[in-house]
Amino acid sequence: MNQDISGGLDNTRCPEIIKILSLGRRSGRLFLNNGSATGNIFFRDGEVIHAQCGALQGIKAIYELAVWTSGEYTFSVDETPDIVTVDMPVDTILSEATNRIRQMDRIVSLIPSSTIVYAFDPDIKEKEITLKSIQWKVLAQIDGKKSIADIAQHIGLGVSDTMKVFYTLVKAGLLHEAYLAEVESTLDLIGLPDTPFIRALKDDLTRAVGPIAPFMITETAREMNIDLLAEDLEQKAALVETISSKIPSESMSLKFLDTMTDWIHTEAM
Amino acid sequence: MKGTVKDLLKISGVHGYAIVRDRNIQIKLPSKHRFAGAKNQIKILYDDLMQAQKRPGNTIEIYLEDLVLTVFISGITMLMVLSSTRVNLALVRMTGKLVIANLAKEKF
Repeated sequence: MNQDISGGLDNTRCPEIIKILSLGRRSGRLFLNNGSATGNIFFRDGEVIHAQCGALQGIKAIYELAVWTSGEYTFSVDETPDIVTVDMPVDTILSEATNRIRQMDRIVSLIPSSTIVYAFDPDIKEKEITLKSIQWKVLAQIDGKKSIADIAQHIGLGVSDTMKVFYTLVKAGLLHEAYLAEVESTLDLIGLPDTPFIRALKDDLTRAVGPIAPFMITETAREMNIDLLAEDLEQKAALVETISSKIPSESMSLKFLDTMTDWIHTEAM
Repeated sequence: MKGTVKDLLKISGVHGYAIVRDRNIQIKLPSKHRFAGAKNQIKILYDDLMQAQKRPGNTIEIYLEDLVLTVFISGITMLMVLSSTRVNLALVRMTGKLVIANLAKEKF
């Protein structure tokens, strides 16, 4: 196997790689791995001929891979697929992929991670709600325990498409984050102090890693011998830095670091 | 948080920074600082640290008698933050990681 291009998806996203391989009229397999899922895109003389991502195949798989913002990629020359599932000019694929990325950026501003768990909001404001069948399919899976990624896998839809459905449902006021409520109740259970710093830390970490956030905070504080009630800014910064290094997704880790650094900077003023 | 070098300069105890990319060096330090004219020494350090096997990781702290050099590396970009030994080093590392992530994304 001859690997001649590789790198990180945080610097170069999938559509850019497709464009480079297409312009170079390359043949082979582009393998992508974002830490929790993998995908393949096959090229013949610069044209995309097959793609696969989890259970998705063809153009849907490409659109799913296009929105990944972290992970790694490797291109291996001259590997050929057994089947052909894509028959579309690269320019058309790239144009739609770019639209998807724009859409995804908007979705991520409301739903930052596919690890988030949603529950039904009992206070619906609308008098009448009309749902599409795919929205109903997703709603039927919501139980306050399954994450968006779990539901995507369950109904055989791409994670990005499932997040899009969630975006509409959350916007319509049908859902709210289940974890935050659950985490509130686990705060007492595991003895996390209720201070503005710990609340901010817990909320941001929950967005990045889900309901294990309070456990991660106490465990890291214990390992570092840090008193969570201490007002020492250096200790707070050290705790945040160590926790950020434990977040598996690089983009989520940077997002967490971004918000918490802001918090500590404000406190330091 | 914008994750720019300005955020670094806001941290109490930070003297300034140096950014090195390939052959370009940008140094922002008070004119009388003893590293203000140390372009050559910084370039030598950069050349050494660009060889991944010669460095312990992508964030390196070098303690001198009266100051700390915190070095961040991503690809061919190096950010060096110069600060006093009494600075909140964890805050420097956190902010520096955000800055280097943004610098590495910039086209140059």
